[in-house]
Amino acid sequence: MAKTLELQFLNTEGKSVKINIDSPIEPVDTAALNTVMDTIVSANIFFSTGGDFVSKKGARIVERNVADVVLS
Amino acid sequence: MANQVILDSNLSLIYDMGMDINGKPISKRKSYNNVKTSATPDQLLQVAQAIASLQTETLTLVERSDTHQLTV
Repeated sequence: MAKTLELQFLNTEGKSVKINIDSPIEPVDTAALNTVMDTIVSANIFFSTGGDFVSKKGARIVERNVADVVLS
Repeated sequence: MANQVILDSNLSLIYDMGMDINGKPISKRKSYNNVKTSATPDQLLQVAQAIASLQTETLTLVERSDTHQLTV
C-alpha cells in the first residue's frame, strides 16, 4: 500500500514538525537520510507556527491501508 | 504605480510517472507549504533535490508558487 517517509524535526519552540516524502526508496539509506535532513535544517526554507526548523528528531515509514467495507 | 508584496510561498515537486495508454506523459505533483518567502532559488532547488534523492520516482520539474498581494 501507499507508504510515506515521515521526516520529523524540532522547531525553536521544541515542538515536532514533519515533512512527508511519498514513495520512498526502501530500505531507507540512513546515511542519505541524515544528509537530506541536515540539508533541510541548514537550508532553513520552511517555517512553522513554532518557528524555524532547528534540529533533527527522527524519521519513520508510515504505511496506510485502505479496505472497502461493503454496505448491506 | 501599484506594488506587490509576497504573502506566501509554495514549493512543488513534479514527478514523471510514465505514459498513459495514449502516449501522453503522466505527472504527479507534491506540494510543500510553509516555505519562507525569503528562501532563495538555490536553497529551494537544493532541498527539492535532497527530497527527491530518497524517492523511487524521477523528478522532472521543481516549481515555486508565490502569492502576491497588490497594493496601490
